Amino acid sequence: MVELSELENDALIEIFNIGVGQAAASMSALVNEEVRMSVPSISFINRTEAARLLGSRLASEADAPDRICGVSQHYEGAFDTDAILMFPEDKSLELVRLMVGETVPLQELTDMEQEAMCEIGNIILNACIGTLANVFQQELRGSLPEYHVGTSVEILGASGSEPDSVVLMLHIDFALDKHQILGYVAFVLDVSALHDLKEQINHYIARAMGQA
Amino acid sequence: MTDAPSAQAKTVLIVDDSRVSRMMARQYILHLQPGWTVVEAATGEESLDKAREAQPDLVLMDVNMPGMGGIAAAEQLRRESATLPISLLTANVQSATRERAEALSLHFMEKPITEARIAQLLALAGG
Amino acid sequence: MAQEQLLALLHSVLNAVTLGAVVLDHERRVVLWNDWMTKHAGITPAQALGAEFFALFPALRGGRVDAAIGQALYNHFPSLLSQSLNKAPFPLYANAAVAAVATDLHDRLQQAVAVTPVDLAGAPRHCLIQISDVSIAVGREKLLREQTMVLRSQTFSDGLTGIANRRHFDVAMEREHRRARRHGTPLSLLMIDIDHFKAYNDHYGHQKGDGCLIQVAAALSAMLKRSADLMARYGGEEFAMILPDTDTAQAMQMAETIRARAQQLAIPHAHGGDAGVVTVSIGVATRHADAPIGIEGLIGAADRALYQAKRRGRNRVEV
Repeated sequence: MVELSELENDALIEIFNIGVGQAAASMSALVNEEVRMSVPSISFINRTEAARLLGSRLASEADAPDRICGVSQHYEGAFDTDAILMFPEDKSLELVRLMVGETVPLQELTDMEQEAMCEIGNIILNACIGTLANVFQQELRGSLPEYHVGTSVEILGASGSEPDSVVLMLHIDFALDKHQILGYVAFVLDVSALHDLKEQINHYIARAMGQA
Repeated sequence: MTDAPSAQAKTVLIVDDSRVSRMMARQYILHLQPGWTVVEAATGEESLDKAREAQPDLVLMDVNMPGMGGIAAAEQLRRESATLPISLLTANVQSATRERAEALSLHFMEKPITEARIAQLLALAGG
Repeated sequence: MAQEQLLALLHSVLNAVTLGAVVLDHERRVVLWNDWMTKHAGITPAQALGAEFFALFPALRGGRVDAAIGQALYNHFPSLLSQSLNKAPFPLYANAAVAAVATDLHDRLQQAVAVTPVDLAGAPRHCLIQISDVSIAVGREKLLREQTMVLRSQTFSDGLTGIANRRHFDVAMEREHRRARRHGTPLSLLMIDIDHFKAYNDHYGHQKGDGCLIQVAAALSAMLKRSADLMARYGGEEFAMILPDTDTAQAMQMAETIRARAQQLAIPHAHGGDAGVVTVSIGVATRHADAPIGIEGLIGAADRALYQAKRRGRNRVEV
């Protein structure tokens, strides 16, 4: 499994915090309310483990305990990855309701709200990968967001990656008004993408230490 | 910006829970003003002690930190000194942050930290 | 097919598609503008081509569309602007006649917008803005939602009077407060209390007391004009009326009309005030965009006004 040094871990977390911070500012402008987002921790795990982690951590008490809402975007260029923003189903509904400002029944996630969820995913994922790309001074292309709902296994597998692919998992803390929502962003990386990522982090740190 | 470093060496206190962030800020500051001193703190609480100890001419405070948090620490520093230049650093710039900063006579600067942005901040301390 | 023919065909197709297509170059100048845009924005290609995007749409500067264009041109990322989070960002209308009399966002086409980067050989990156008219879908959503609200109203109605209950009030208040805060519109609250109600119950009995409540509730809720207005039973003999998009003057007017209507019901009350019939006292409070107060603050202000009304003799309106 991938082991990051403390410094490398620190660097990645800081980069992602900048990304979600900017995403929070965009979302705040959309809803005219204070929005705070942060990435308290990250981890590297394989896809099967990730599915298990998400399945148990995000499980709610609803009838379908394992149902998760995800928004995915594919990025390619300097490295290839599928990025997926995930919330437990009822939390994603709560998030959309908060952002859209309507009182709607919990059980219904209509097309319009799926679209709103797609935009939220689009903002957050673009901000995370965008910051990464800028900091690494790399070129990337992205796709439009796609909405998924299902079990963690289904959502992580939707990109067609191998079960032993590595997933870079970000904890996301989202706060709007008095509501706090915990979600995840997963970046599915194949071997070369992982290698590129490590290389880039090291260059970044070298620059930070004034050695590059 | 002049080529010669400022005649009087100043002290800058950087507060950020990210070591890499502090390293980058230190790099940029010392590149722009080689004669200055950079002091670091990793938390809001630590920043209060370091500030009293080092008497900085400028404080750069990350907002998003666990525990006390940047704004609370900045508030406390502001209580202890009405004139100390303090700048919040945040990637999340929205009206609520701006208003809080204004109310406390704090500056704020958007992240990510770049040399250009550091240069602007050093000007607050006369650099 | 010859190149020229193909080009002409593509041009025709672009102008035939039923969505707006705008392409900007790296300096955000318009280089492509299709007929759909001409029709719904009321801007001709002659006016649009070569113009700077924000010269055509100054209100969009600094907003989500601006950010999305930046993402496409500089980061090579596409952006989606959902219709629920971005209410009609572009000034687009069904036709010129509607555009001429339009007053607010509701008159515009409801839009779903996508901004995508476009690579061009030998030139810096361009971006494509696609705009779809989703007004029908939005209308259908609204209908579905209203029907659902009707179905759910069972759990939201007061058992005795049949009007909204306290829970419904709380939910509606949160919603309307957020909406008022978001759009900068005034939100008014009326706290309506039946005068000398305990005395009424004591002398006419609780059954008649219930009947009085039902009558007053029915009469007052019949006075609501708009779908967003809500009349709820707030407490024993207390009612609350939420009036969104209503300023103080309008709220005062409504309150006075209510006060008069209640008196008009002529429910005999020999042990109440001077009027000899059941009357109400009303406290009015308004949240303005330039004096923002929270939900508790608004309710508190209305309560204080109600208290004033009671103190000053009842059967009156205070603000």
